[in-house]
Amino acid sequence: MWEILIQLIVSGIAMGFIYALVGIEYTLIWNASGVLNFSHDKMITTGAYIFGGTYILGLGMDFIPGIIVSLITVAILGIVIAKVIFIPLRNMTMIYTIMATVMLGKIIVEAIRLIWGPVPFSVPGFLIGTVKIGSTVISIANIAIIITASICVLALQLFLYKTKPGKAMRCVAQSRKAAQLMGIDVTSVMTVSVIISMIICCLIGILVSPLLNITTTMSNMIGLKGFAAGIIGGFGYLPGSILGGLCIGIIENIASMVLPSVYKDIVAFVLLIIFLLIRPKGITGKTR
Amino acid sequence: MKKIKSKQYIVMAATFVILALVPIFINNNYYITILNQMVINMLVVFGLNFITGLTGQMNLGTAGIYALGAYTSALLSRNFGISPWLTMIAAVFVGFLIGRGLGYPSLKMRGVYLSLTTLAFSEIVRIFATNLVSITGGTQGVKNIPRFAVGFIQLDSNVKYFYFVLIVTIVLCLLSIKITHSKWGREFRAVKDNVDAIESLGLDIKKIKIRAFTIAAMYGALGGALYAHFNQFITSTSFTTDLSISYVIMLMIGGIGNIFGNIIGAIVITLLPELLRFLGDYYQITYCILVLLCAVFLPNGLISLYGKARHLYEKKSAVKGGE
Amino acid sequence: MGNEEIVLEVKNLIKKFDGLVAVNDLSFKVKKGRIHALIGPNGAGKTTTVNMITGTDPQNEGDILFCGKSILKLPVYSRAKLGIGRTFQNIKLFSSMTVLENLMIGAQCNTNQHILTYLVNLKKAKAEEELLKEKAEVILDFIGMYRYKDEIVSNLAYGRQKMTELGRTLMMDPKLILLDEPAAGLNPSERKTFIDIIWKVFEQDIDIFLIEHNMDVVMNLSHDITVLNFGCKIAEGGSKEIQNNEEVITAYLGEGYRKKMMEKEAGANA
Repeated sequence: MWEILIQLIVSGIAMGFIYALVGIEYTLIWNASGVLNFSHDKMITTGAYIFGGTYILGLGMDFIPGIIVSLITVAILGIVIAKVIFIPLRNMTMIYTIMATVMLGKIIVEAIRLIWGPVPFSVPGFLIGTVKIGSTVISIANIAIIITASICVLALQLFLYKTKPGKAMRCVAQSRKAAQLMGIDVTSVMTVSVIISMIICCLIGILVSPLLNITTTMSNMIGLKGFAAGIIGGFGYLPGSILGGLCIGIIENIASMVLPSVYKDIVAFVLLIIFLLIRPKGITGKTR
Repeated sequence: MKKIKSKQYIVMAATFVILALVPIFINNNYYITILNQMVINMLVVFGLNFITGLTGQMNLGTAGIYALGAYTSALLSRNFGISPWLTMIAAVFVGFLIGRGLGYPSLKMRGVYLSLTTLAFSEIVRIFATNLVSITGGTQGVKNIPRFAVGFIQLDSNVKYFYFVLIVTIVLCLLSIKITHSKWGREFRAVKDNVDAIESLGLDIKKIKIRAFTIAAMYGALGGALYAHFNQFITSTSFTTDLSISYVIMLMIGGIGNIFGNIIGAIVITLLPELLRFLGDYYQITYCILVLLCAVFLPNGLISLYGKARHLYEKKSAVKGGE
Repeated sequence: MGNEEIVLEVKNLIKKFDGLVAVNDLSFKVKKGRIHALIGPNGAGKTTTVNMITGTDPQNEGDILFCGKSILKLPVYSRAKLGIGRTFQNIKLFSSMTVLENLMIGAQCNTNQHILTYLVNLKKAKAEEELLKEKAEVILDFIGMYRYKDEIVSNLAYGRQKMTELGRTLMMDPKLILLDEPAAGLNPSERKTFIDIIWKVFEQDIDIFLIEHNMDVVMNLSHDITVLNFGCKIAEGGSKEIQNNEEVITAYLGEGYRKKMMEKEAGANA
């Protein structure tokens, strides 16, 4: 009984970190441009496809080079998407930004289907297997997620607080107008935010590919729950996303001990609605 | 939102007449099915217009409302043998309750948060519909949903059903026009135009927002019920977020806030998949790109094309007159 | 105008924003039949005070009484329904609607036909709509805007938009109108027109409370003046008293100006 609980909590923490990363990536774009990226789940999927596809097609690269190449590819894509979509969208009203990013997402899905075909696949041998810690069995994929996500968050914190572009991003997050008045190039900040967001999305896609098959709908739920993570933690506040993500990950797993597992997905949505009604500022009560 | 001028009324009436005449020339059951769906979609978009078009709020949960209307009417009529006339009214009542329920969050949230809440609501409905198999049949769905009779006319063919749905839609169209031009309509538009001023005029903005949601939900639920009895089969796999998004696209493409725009949006978006079918594998991506372009370059919808064309025409004749 | 009936009373009002005290222990009375102005330099707390009166911003401490009864517990729309009308400094009209529609909606809080009658097109509903229209037209005529009634408000000149907003407020049959910087953004001739209309409104037995920092307008338009600086009341009285009040002059024009004036006076007396 205890083993099951620990396993559930560990995998809950792992998924929680995934949700946290999702919360972080969309928050970065939101803080920089005021656009809520409804295509972020498709970007995660793209990351997985590029990695799996580059790996499988790309002459059977090893995992590490494959990951690096994928991240670089996605960063370049990020520059294009920033210039073509997010920067033009930054001043439009909400309904158009929502619909534009939704359609972008659909276009990405179609492009994926046309390029890689509709058949789901997986990357053989990537992060498979388990490890025994004490008497509990934990999957390597989950460990990889926890470690990678932690490094990612730390790296992001260093970037935001110790580098010039990072500080510029934080300024823009607090107030776009003030940042502009101080001479910060807001469009560059937006581009950098999109690039970082895409890199994180790619990483997420790579990390979850051992858990789910690589298919066009693999990230739909992750995307929606990522929204929930950000809101529960505190919309726009990066550490909030982490807290929110972990909450969802752990709670939904524990709930699956009580509820029929098919209803596990509902937990995140119910939490989202409850928080939006009762405490829209999230657990931390901070935004930005 | 501009007031509908009398010209628009004429064109709207003409559109309905043309639609009514289509079954005379086209016998193909496939197209009659599309026609039915088109008119039902119009009805749903009229409702959605009250939320997004008039009060300017975002609703990504139409599929959930549509689904609940469909299941209510389907299950009550098939399992308990209640007349579909009554079950459809029950569906509208369910819509009323949902509207009041969903309207409440809309008071506390704006914009993005509301879009996420409605999205979450729709997903919760879909997940329950998929998994409460004993009630909803899950992905196997509910079969043998009965048709019904209007007076002595049994709606046993799709063509007959189409005329019934067309009449219902025309009635609801007139209803929407009436509401929009009434004091309620002014209040809705005021919410979109300038929320801050409303309360200073003694109006309770909470009531107005909930009212908008309630009307929209009643329309949406009715649409779902009409769909259920038309298709005679419903399954949870139809009621996805994509469906909610389609309805918003119809609203946007036609022209947000304008009832004639709603009609055009519903027609275009329902027909577009058929028109683009020749593209084969590339149809979906073309469709998405077209919609994206429309959103960026025609934010006021296809309806605005008429205004722009007339503007160009007036400019031209002014230039000519000056020579 | 024998006994002083108090239309609006503000008692010991305090408003803090995160440690900054915006309004500090403010009290004043608006008497029936006397136009009352609240003046002070920018940032003195005037708009905050008006927002507390209407209920848009909650107060931290203090009481607000309208016609003798406390309105603290009432939400914004209830206070408006009691008869407190308000115009906004940066005009909040319903931009997609016509002048007529903007006015009609102003009176809707007092209509009572249920929407159902509208849908069945009963005579009552039509009659109510007609009444709204007629009332709007009467008021448009009163404020001199009748010929713009079918114009979309966003197409109007600024001065006419301001007038429309006033007309909309009048539709509520208010007992008291709070005017937020009525002169702001108007050129001299527009200002004169607007002030003439305000006098006309006043003659209709509607009380006026305005906040303004244009001294000319205030001196010509008000009977009683309360002066605010940094959230505190520094003076109160009629226009003559206020004009010669040293503290007021200092608040508006600075210590340097006051010294200059004193030197001038000293020089004249020598």
